[in-house]
Amino acid sequence: MSNKKTFIDPLIDNNPITRQVLGICSALAVTVKVEQALVMTLALTFVVAMSNAIVSLLRKYIPSSIRIIVQLIVISTLVTLIDKVLEAYMYDISKELSVFIALIVTNCIVMGRADAFAMQNDVKSSFIDGLGNGLGYGSILIIVASFREILGFGTFLNFRILPEFLNNGLMILAPGAFIILGLIIWFQRSITSFVEE
Amino acid sequence: MKNKYIFILTITITASLLLSIASESLKLITLKNVEIDKKKNVLSAIGIDIESFNNNSIDNYFSENIDSLVIDLDGNVVQTLSINDLKEVENNQNGEVKYFNNQNEYLPIYKDNNKNALIIPISGKGLWSTLFGYFAIDLDNFSTVKGITFYKHKETPGLGAEVSKKWFQNNFIGKEIYNDGNLVSIAVSKAGYADKNSLYEVDGISGATITSNGVSSFLMRDLSRYEKYFKKNN
Repeated sequence: MSNKKTFIDPLIDNNPITRQVLGICSALAVTVKVEQALVMTLALTFVVAMSNAIVSLLRKYIPSSIRIIVQLIVISTLVTLIDKVLEAYMYDISKELSVFIALIVTNCIVMGRADAFAMQNDVKSSFIDGLGNGLGYGSILIIVASFREILGFGTFLNFRILPEFLNNGLMILAPGAFIILGLIIWFQRSITSFVEE
Repeated sequence: MKNKYIFILTITITASLLLSIASESLKLITLKNVEIDKKKNVLSAIGIDIESFNNNSIDNYFSENIDSLVIDLDGNVVQTLSINDLKEVENNQNGEVKYFNNQNEYLPIYKDNNKNALIIPISGKGLWSTLFGYFAIDLDNFSTVKGITFYKHKETPGLGAEVSKKWFQNNFIGKEIYNDGNLVSIAVSKAGYADKNSLYEVDGISGATITSNGVSSFLMRDLSRYEKYFKKNN
């Protein structure tokens, strides 16, 4: 697979959220505002890309019987690092994201890519695969967050664009995210005519 | 295969070393953030628009205008302690926060000499969660309300979460917590049912009766802890 395909594939055709339906929990939780979704995207992209690269770098030395433990150590180290950095430099956002940054550890996308892709491929393509998957996840996050922030708060990136009386409380709550996410998955699958086997 | 053990040991040690270095080197900045955040919350109780302040100006305002005091339960100022010496313990049943130093209970107070306000922390249960906030009253009569703010809660967005909105908090400004020398606090009544002429009632939030009732009751409870101090200094 060419590097370009490795990068493009998870963005649309093989998107971790809409196609593989992974990482749904955090996609529901951090999509109330676009700002949160952006920071989450950056954090997750960093973690997937770096953990992919590190796991791929070590792949020839990792004994296969303990490979999951090693991957978990690499991932949780990176996540804790990101958590500390956010706490120090973006305190307000880190307060809003609270546990969801720490929960990147349990995000199936990260572990899935490390085990399924990085263990078999070289460092460069693993890194690119991580970038692609992180951004694929993030693009859906940002689309969902845009709908929720505009319809729920009447703002976009905290700029007011709709009058306040149009605010829809449902969009701020979890069901709003379910509905939007469902519509996006439906929309994508009706175009690509992909059917779950 | 003893390789396996050496490998996992190396990985673990490298990872923990990396994390301790990161944690130690970022510790000061993080502590500073927590402190600034607390100051912001205190200042927003007296209606200062904290969005227009940056971290430095908050520090400056605080050091120029705010006196932080510790009092004991009899209402005497304890000069030997500062607010940072107090350990906060939250009661999980009713959300009341108590402040301890060496098993002895104390209370914190912030005095703003610029706005002539006394600011105290308040906390208590709403519907889903404990609400944390600050309450400000006039420094001269310990009765006229200068403001209220909530900085942390998990109430329902659009309903109970309205407690952190300006329209609700502005209802409190100018009300009185003392009636004829008795502490009556402020009652949060049913939405739209508050007596407009009463100095001791404000409108609650429609659809959030339990949150409103919670605010009423913990406001009374937390204010009464300071009664002795109010009496001594009035």
